Amino acid sequence: MADKPDIARWVDEEAKAIGLPIAPEYRANVIVNIERSLAIVAPLLAVELEDELTPLPVYRP
Amino acid sequence: MTDATSKTATAAEIARAVSSGQAKAVDVIEATLRRIEAAEPTVNAFTDIVGQRARRRAAEIDAGRHQGPLVGVPFAVKNLFDIKGLPTRAGSKINAEGPIAKRDGALVRKLEAAGAVLVGGLNMGEYAYDFTGENAHYGPSRNPHDPTRMTGGSSGGSGASVAAGEVPLALGSDTNGSIRVPSSLCGLFGLKPTYGRLSRAGSFPFVDAFDHLGPLARSAKDLALSFDAMQGWDPDDPVCTDKPADMTMLSLDEGIGGLRIGIAGDYFAKGGEPECFEAVATVAKALGATRTVVLPQAAAARAAAYVITAMEGAQLHLERLRTRPQDFDPDTRERFLAGALLPGAWYVKAQRFRRHYRAQVLKLFEEVDIVLAPATPCSAPRLGQTMMTLGGVELAVRANLGVFTQPISFIGLPVVAVPTRKAGAMPIGVQVIARPYNETAALRVAAHLEKQGVCVSTPA
Repeated sequence: MADKPDIARWVDEEAKAIGLPIAPEYRANVIVNIERSLAIVAPLLAVELEDELTPLPVYRP
Repeated sequence: MTDATSKTATAAEIARAVSSGQAKAVDVIEATLRRIEAAEPTVNAFTDIVGQRARRRAAEIDAGRHQGPLVGVPFAVKNLFDIKGLPTRAGSKINAEGPIAKRDGALVRKLEAAGAVLVGGLNMGEYAYDFTGENAHYGPSRNPHDPTRMTGGSSGGSGASVAAGEVPLALGSDTNGSIRVPSSLCGLFGLKPTYGRLSRAGSFPFVDAFDHLGPLARSAKDLALSFDAMQGWDPDDPVCTDKPADMTMLSLDEGIGGLRIGIAGDYFAKGGEPECFEAVATVAKALGATRTVVLPQAAAARAAAYVITAMEGAQLHLERLRTRPQDFDPDTRERFLAGALLPGAWYVKAQRFRRHYRAQVLKLFEEVDIVLAPATPCSAPRLGQTMMTLGGVELAVRANLGVFTQPISFIGLPVVAVPTRKAGAMPIGVQVIARPYNETAALRVAAHLEKQGVCVSTPA
């Protein structure tokens, strides 16, 4: 397992990279939300998928 | 016989009374507008009331100019549906500045073609990124069964207006649970149809991959009546199916004979308050269902739905987030901002996983026709409540009211949320889930439960 990411730096650098200014008063809560996302996404990241599994080009339920 | 002007009248009862001449549409609409005026200070369901338009339409009905299965039935729509002459707010301050809709959304037109009468636009969580029904710009919609509690969202006004008895029928949208969550918390029947079944043309999007529109009502029959009226291919929504419409009313009262019904175990049997599992047990017992089934990797499905939602939603609003973040609801703003910063690899993996999960779940539906699962992990939280305890774990209310709905809408399965309520308690719903395009089966189950008196929706 990789080291725990530095989420504050992630937010600052990624926001800069995509040209999305994040005001200081919003920053702390954005970091909280990224932390929350990391926890929620874990079960997805743990799944192993076959190479043949591509996204559905036209989605039909 | 129910008085068609009373708040307990269902859409079917109103349509029967108006079409037979026992009630006048103008009287139904006047009574509706009076009820809205009286209830709004408490429930805050409406953002726009189109009284003049509704009165004119009702007079036309009484003059014999409009007919149909929903004749004279008042309805209202979540304010992400276009209403001619109004801005399509989508719960936001930004969209309220315009543009003004030039025509009604496709489903509004279909319901009116069936004789129904639009009375207004309904409150919702900003840009539909919400499970609570709270809104910083327009105030929270409040639960008619206890106005100190949430309606659930994001179709909060839709839930409140029907549960308060203001209207018998409302339309909402459901991306991750936004019809099913307010149906559960407000004690209503709600239908999230199969993905692509109903046209989304003329509605403000959130996450194209999962956006669905559908009705909320106080009876299964009203869901079926309105659903049947709204079906049909629409070239204005590229996702809308060209499969033939399935007239669910024709078999609504056939009962549950021949339906194989399973109870979702594993993921759907933990992570909630005891009341949500008791609700499932009550419904399962009434249906004679004993078999437990597993939707494999549901936790990963919920995670994937979360990722796709956060990232598609953020992308949709990126320019507004760049230029006027101060005009967003504080409760959506930082979630949208965070969504813009998530890694692309997550998104692609979520889409690849969707194909895998869909295949697994469709396999399960070869063995059963219906799966039962909780709709929400708890009954209505208090307004303003940000954290809750589920199964002994402290969790954020906003992110977790949809834990049981997200893995289902993720692959577009049709669901009817059915209400249960114990004496002295708040309502809580159960998801009746069917395979794609089999809304008929889910509605038959809902109608059966209603007939047995197990699932009943009474306005507050």
